[in-house]
Amino acid sequence: MSVRRFNNGDADADLVVVGSGVVGALIAEQLAGAQRSVLILEAGPRLDRAQVVENWRNLNFQQRVSSDYQSLYPQSPLATAPLEFPPNGYVLLTGKDGDSFHQGYIRAVGGTTWHWAASCWRHLPVDFRMRANYGVGRDWPISYSDLEPYYCRAEEAMGVSGPNDPAMQSPAERSRPYPNDMIPWAHGDTRVAQIVNPHGYRSVPIPQGRAVRPWKNRPACCGNNNCQPICPIGAMYNAIHTVQAAEAKGVTVLAESVVYAIDTDTNNRVTAVHWYDRNRQSHRATGRAFVIACNALETPRLLLMAANAQNPRGIANRSDQVGRNLMDHSGFHCTFLASEPLWLGRGPAQSSCLVGARDGAFRSEYSANKIILNNISRVGPATQQALKLGLTGTALREEIRRRTIHGVDLSISLEPLPAPQNRLTLSKTRHDGLGLPSPDINYELDDYVHRGYDAAAQQLRHIGDLFNAVEFEVTTSLNANNHMMGSTIMGFDPKDSVVDGDCRTHDHPNLWLPGGGPMPSASVVNSTLTMAALGLRCADSVQRALEHV
Amino acid sequence: MAVHVWSVRSGWLAAGALSCMAVVGSGAAQAEAGASEVAEQGRYLAIAGDCGACHTRPDGGKAFAGGNAMMSPVGVIYATNITSSSTAGIGSYSEPQFARALREGIRRDGTHLYPSMPYTAYAKLSDADVHALYVYFTQSVQAVDEPPPVTRLPFPFNLRASMVIWNMLFLSTARFEPDPRRSAEWNRGAYLGEALGHCGDCHTPRNVLMAEQSRRQFSGTRVGGWYAPNITSDPVSGIGAWTRDELVEYFKTGALHGKAQAAGGMAEVVGNSLQYLTPEDLNALATYLLSVSPIRDQSDSRARDTWGAPVEHEAELRGRPTSAGSEQPEGNALYSGNCASCHQPTGAGTADSRYPALFHNSATGARHADNLIAAILFGVDREVGGSHTLMPRFDATSYVQPLNDTEVVTLANYVLHEFGNPSVQVTSDDVAAARSRGFAKWRVQLVDGLLIFAGVVLVTLGLWRLWRGRSTYP
Repeated sequence: MSVRRFNNGDADADLVVVGSGVVGALIAEQLAGAQRSVLILEAGPRLDRAQVVENWRNLNFQQRVSSDYQSLYPQSPLATAPLEFPPNGYVLLTGKDGDSFHQGYIRAVGGTTWHWAASCWRHLPVDFRMRANYGVGRDWPISYSDLEPYYCRAEEAMGVSGPNDPAMQSPAERSRPYPNDMIPWAHGDTRVAQIVNPHGYRSVPIPQGRAVRPWKNRPACCGNNNCQPICPIGAMYNAIHTVQAAEAKGVTVLAESVVYAIDTDTNNRVTAVHWYDRNRQSHRATGRAFVIACNALETPRLLLMAANAQNPRGIANRSDQVGRNLMDHSGFHCTFLASEPLWLGRGPAQSSCLVGARDGAFRSEYSANKIILNNISRVGPATQQALKLGLTGTALREEIRRRTIHGVDLSISLEPLPAPQNRLTLSKTRHDGLGLPSPDINYELDDYVHRGYDAAAQQLRHIGDLFNAVEFEVTTSLNANNHMMGSTIMGFDPKDSVVDGDCRTHDHPNLWLPGGGPMPSASVVNSTLTMAALGLRCADSVQRALEHV
Repeated sequence: MAVHVWSVRSGWLAAGALSCMAVVGSGAAQAEAGASEVAEQGRYLAIAGDCGACHTRPDGGKAFAGGNAMMSPVGVIYATNITSSSTAGIGSYSEPQFARALREGIRRDGTHLYPSMPYTAYAKLSDADVHALYVYFTQSVQAVDEPPPVTRLPFPFNLRASMVIWNMLFLSTARFEPDPRRSAEWNRGAYLGEALGHCGDCHTPRNVLMAEQSRRQFSGTRVGGWYAPNITSDPVSGIGAWTRDELVEYFKTGALHGKAQAAGGMAEVVGNSLQYLTPEDLNALATYLLSVSPIRDQSDSRARDTWGAPVEHEAELRGRPTSAGSEQPEGNALYSGNCASCHQPTGAGTADSRYPALFHNSATGARHADNLIAAILFGVDREVGGSHTLMPRFDATSYVQPLNDTEVVTLANYVLHEFGNPSVQVTSDDVAAARSRGFAKWRVQLVDGLLIFAGVVLVTLGLWRLWRGRSTYP
């Protein structure tokens, strides 16, 4: 079924999807496969991979070594995304911990999976029952076993490689093996696991959306170690793959199309969305079902700015929870030089991770953590450090080599709890290129996270000792991890939540908001696979609903 | 009847053993073992003849159940079910009926097969090998009772009878004749190359009626979007400078460091067929090929795998501002962004050749740039020895980066100029043509040509016959 296009640029489809990232693309592909007409409206442009690769290679050293994964991606002047070098001020951060919430995301066809690390973790079963088990946070209205089949489908869709040995799985509750077995560990992963595992830190392979063999027209990963900010050969899963598969099934994707308004009827069903094209001309897309899958910042921003007479607080916002409960894994880093060379930086950017503190009774008191053995080449930081020593010539080269092969960077993620005051609102004074309100975010972490930091810092000190670490450093300020969650939170009760267990809004029977926004608990693991699984569960719900229209 | 050297090696030997056993009354078990030996021989022959390439669907289809859709501008041709099923397959064929289909392209019901079935090559097969294939397909291949879709081409392409005329003109029913002056190994190689392996199907140019030109045997020709190169023994235009061991390695792996990689149809031949042949057979095939009359293209000045050297222009690209990529990038930037992560900035590939060098590479040194363009557009997909090699495609369906015609032209010409044969120029017409010829199973285009010409021939000969009357035929 193809989308109807009208002479004035308007369109009509069975399903209108706003956002072409992994979640929107998976839903669009499934519904097109079910013979539905599907229109995707994407705010950002189409990207040229080779150009982005060249942009990264030409980025200055300071930005590269500071992990500036945003500047290399061309932006539409009408769909701003955050930039930090220099700051473009698109998002205004306030609150005690506002500085820990500098999110990087891409507004383009394919979304932020252009520059993710492709880590494909599942939540633990217990993560769905934080309140019931630990008396903190919120419980999901669905269980791990409700989502498990969708985790399997998401892993299949993204071609995940993960450990098929249950002893190395986190969690081990699985109904199907991974589509590809784990990416083999390099020396550094193996050696670190040998050293830390006797002490309970439990290093396991990171399940990841790439493979060491070709997979569905994707080439094998050849270890460019450049996953972030761009896989130069397309071996890493990127939603552009799903977008193209969806287009092959008949989905229409309109890039540089910024949705800004939503029409509802007397039954509060959504009847249409309005978008601006690249020439600032406004158009309208009517449909039977609507999915908004921008991300956990842009989705609530759109819902709030689309407030109409019938929904004066914003679309889907009778609960006043739209934009609240914002979460991201609070991050920090630990770096040191190990006494033996570990040769990190070969293969994918992330390879193994310490999950020993992912769960435990302590979670009633303080945050769990995961400790990623970062596998991004240390040549950049090693060069920076060696230059500071004033070395030149051979001595400089030798020092860079020494620091590169001995260098360790651990990236730690902590779990925040959903809190209504952590909130996105619309700026009254700042606007984007279309004159639409920019987002303001207030963010304050409670002691649950800070106590979790203290516990993790102790563990890190111990780990450093196991490696006879020198130049052992732990960052004290928290950083963002770009895993935005919670802002269209899922729950049983329409009074305190935005969507139900299918990501369907309580307020509008034909509007779904899948992705990170509905997640009521953050766990400590990257959110993408859970977002994709929720997307596929949502796709089933949309498909059933369209059968009754 | 011709002497069949390989009869002795295969079927007749087994059949002889079988009758001896019957005489001494060794029982059914041994008779079964004899029969299974023949079937095993047939299985090997089916691999050498690459029957599965067309009769087994690559997307997980059941072995030899057919249904492979070969897209053609005039319609879809579906490969038939050749399993032992008596309803959907060939289980109820008698051996003469099977032989007739194989060698003459005529089904049991008398209708003509489209020449996507290489019966002109199989006509040379020995009786013993036909017997072994018959035993294998009718007794060992698991019956699949699902009939594949029926091929329905529109008029006049549905006139299968037109093949009668073409067969009269071009089908030789002679069996393979060993050359007594040559070694047994050479003769085995010739049998493999000319009959079972039907190399000429791709590598021999065809005349206007799409029949192979024996005088230009193996001198290379265009096959769909690809170019099946000159594989005669000429050291400049062909493969005469390759050693026998190198040829065998290429057959076995599909990749020869510093010379060539199998892609397109050849990747399928290596993956489905050649890699499974015995070392003796591969050596025989190499021995034979290296003896094939050299055919030189006078415009070739040096062997296609000897052009180029490592060269790097990476530094010229650095220090530029980031770009939204709206302007047309030059070849250097296209190469750096799309190719250099695997083939390296110098074009040298990786030391283990997993990612091949672009210099000393048949695809970049050949006078025809077809294989370079096709590799860029359609990628390289080869499964050999349990290892899967996949260079991604860069055409409109690419998951990595779709390139437009201008970009492919700029990129290909950069690669040719820097790493390959700099006298070769690619135009946007070349790229557009390659896109439209596509990766379709090459035989389909042959079928189109054959059918068109056969239709013309049918009409012409019919008129001629009417005019001359019956007296023409003694």
